[in-house]
Amino acid sequence: MAGPVASSPWRLLRLLPAASALLAVPAAAAAPPSEVAVKAAFLTKFPAYVAWPAAARPRPGAPLQICILGDDPFGRLIDEAARGQQVDGHPLQVRRLNAPGQAGGCHVAFVQGSGPAMLQGLQGKPVLTVTDARAGARGGMIHFVVHQGRVRFHIDEAQAARSGVGISSRLLGIALSVRRP
Amino acid sequence: MKPGSRAAHAAGAALLALAPTTLLAETDAPETVEELRDLSIEQLAQIEVRSASKQAEPIGRAPTSIFVLTGSDIVRSAATSLPEALRLAPNLQVQQLDARQFAVTSRGFNGAESSNKLLVLIDGRSVYSTLHSGVFWELHSPLLEDVEQIEVISGPGGTLYGPNAVNGIVSVASRDARETLGGLVRGTAGPRERTLALRYGIGLGDSGAVRVYANGLDREDLPAGPAADNDDAFAGWQAGFRADLGKGADRVTLQGDIFDTDIDTMPGDGDRGHNLLARWTHDFAEERSLRVQAYYDEYRRHSQLVTDSLQTFDAEAQLNARFGSHHVVLGGGLRTTRDDFVNNLNGFHLEPQSRRLWVVNAFAQDRMALTPKLDLIAGLKLERSSFSGVETLPNLRLAWRPSARTTWWGSVSRAVRTPSRIDRQLVFLPLLAEASNFESEKLIAFEAGYRGQPGLATTLSVSLFYNLYDDIRTTEFTGNPFPIRLQNGLEGRTYGIEAWATHQLSSKWRASLGLAALNKDFHLKDGAVDLANRASLGADPDYQVLARSQVDLTDRLQLDLGLRGVDDLGTSGLGGYVEADARLAWRVSDPIELYVAGNNLLHKSHVESSDPGRAQSVERSVHLGTRLRF
Repeated sequence: MAGPVASSPWRLLRLLPAASALLAVPAAAAAPPSEVAVKAAFLTKFPAYVAWPAAARPRPGAPLQICILGDDPFGRLIDEAARGQQVDGHPLQVRRLNAPGQAGGCHVAFVQGSGPAMLQGLQGKPVLTVTDARAGARGGMIHFVVHQGRVRFHIDEAQAARSGVGISSRLLGIALSVRRP
Repeated sequence: MKPGSRAAHAAGAALLALAPTTLLAETDAPETVEELRDLSIEQLAQIEVRSASKQAEPIGRAPTSIFVLTGSDIVRSAATSLPEALRLAPNLQVQQLDARQFAVTSRGFNGAESSNKLLVLIDGRSVYSTLHSGVFWELHSPLLEDVEQIEVISGPGGTLYGPNAVNGIVSVASRDARETLGGLVRGTAGPRERTLALRYGIGLGDSGAVRVYANGLDREDLPAGPAADNDDAFAGWQAGFRADLGKGADRVTLQGDIFDTDIDTMPGDGDRGHNLLARWTHDFAEERSLRVQAYYDEYRRHSQLVTDSLQTFDAEAQLNARFGSHHVVLGGGLRTTRDDFVNNLNGFHLEPQSRRLWVVNAFAQDRMALTPKLDLIAGLKLERSSFSGVETLPNLRLAWRPSARTTWWGSVSRAVRTPSRIDRQLVFLPLLAEASNFESEKLIAFEAGYRGQPGLATTLSVSLFYNLYDDIRTTEFTGNPFPIRLQNGLEGRTYGIEAWATHQLSSKWRASLGLAALNKDFHLKDGAVDLANRASLGADPDYQVLARSQVDLTDRLQLDLGLRGVDDLGTSGLGGYVEADARLAWRVSDPIELYVAGNNLLHKSHVESSDPGRAQSVERSVHLGTRLRF
């Protein structure tokens, strides 16, 4: 498995699923993060590992937009995760949308509710689509799953390539599976 | 859309989304992403999370001696069957009896007939037999590639588990169908065994998925050991499906398996069966969830003129709720079995030959936070069997977490093994008569343990136990002198330690070490005799040691090495042994993996059980394998 040495302490946690589950008790200050918090953090990290076609890239200084289409499982978590973060000089901006038609300008689109219709609206557009196994079957370029107590994801690189979205090998390296073009 | 209304909509969506989070925050630690912001993407992928479904099933959170075998540990190992995979758990003792049969136990009593104090669940379906309270491992060949994890708990399971959780629990969980989309082909071939497995998963609608699988195996006969050669070659298949549907608050799982195996002993010998399970989980608001599950299971074992069949219907419900500092679990279940035991080989038979049994149970457990760092767990289970009456199974535990990386725990619990059909109704007149007064075997267990991360790269778990047993089975003269009957004449204690540690030597190399040591001290009660010479206590090693190394040599090469040392089997006179397993895998390309793996590599053959009627010599075995994913 690829991964820097620095990740070892975290990787070790997997050996202690029960112990870490024990920490997840009410009022425990040292509770492990929730699944949804880690997904929110991932969403704000993805843009650094994604290349959009020139026309879709934000103008210098303009925000990079992370859009939540339909149901929003994150609440303020995603806003907190994005606050103050920059990718190549672009601040992150979180938008919440109700229909894919509003998704102009989105760079990352998290689609949870009423999946296929939303996703079809984004098909072929240079938007990194992200879906979640908790809410439905695979559909997005990145698909979150909880695997062995961790938030992981599958990557559909073929679909990303068709939309002109490039995904770095570092991100591909930690995917559970990659569907190649 | 006007900017204003868009903003209003966004605010509305945010507000709606905030609602559950805010409610959660009132009863839980404040939700935060602060500590996640500075992590690398690789670190995020490795961080353990509180998942919604885990919260609905707090079973695995009990402070107890639990070892979790992950799916990746299993597919990286040389194991090709479920009981072989269980060799990876330091708190289990696995004896291979012959090519198809295994005896598995925790904390003693190992043997084909004596390892009757373990509860084994496969995706929530209990698989121990009411005939002798043991597990016929050869009836279960799940696709190991689709196993999410195996939880192994040594010691009584406490309140939440079903009947027979006396010395330990093995709970096999397969992966959600949504995580096994696409195809998998696995084939292995070697002089001792060939296997072939296929799996394919597809999405169902916008939120579901289903997979189907088939798993075939063909295993050669093992040579004679303490027992004469017993024609143990066998071949067969298991197939099945799992569908997971629903999103958000309601989730449904439907799964089933069917299997058929042939044994070489006599023409027509073999086992077959099938099962179907449905599970529905509903999340209410405010961390309250309900799980309802029902299954039907049927099998028929046929060997050497003996036919044993069992039909089981089981329904259970469990409600989890959190009130302030209390986390309450309430539940109940109903199980009915109908067995049939036909023996045309000799005079032993069950009286009556076929019987329906009913077991109902109700349980309640409260986990309360006494202080932010100290939890008290109190549980009580009542179980009533139409066979043996009412049993009370209480359980009290404390968990203290002085820091995020350390848990100390202690517990006192009572568990029983209720009488099996053999215990009470095995008859061979005039020698052996039924024993309607055979009572449950009882255990009061005292446990204490530590689990934590003493260093950044090290995890450690240490558990101590002191078990007081009463009414363990004896075989006694009850006439003048015949007939003999099975009675409850033994009492005694066991104590021991289980410990395991893992050290991450680098990001690509993990080493682990496990140890289990056991002391047994039993005596006959006043006036009792045991014509079976304490056979019910089994034959256990005083200790076993496991060592394992898992290395990613390169991005494409994996090497796993395992070593196990097992002490002699005490009074049985069988010597101890040291054996090794290894697997070298090469990922040729993303979808293709080739490997060579071997079990029991150090000796041409060794013996793991002293069973005079079953135990064969376990031979070195090597196989080539491949996994293709598409």
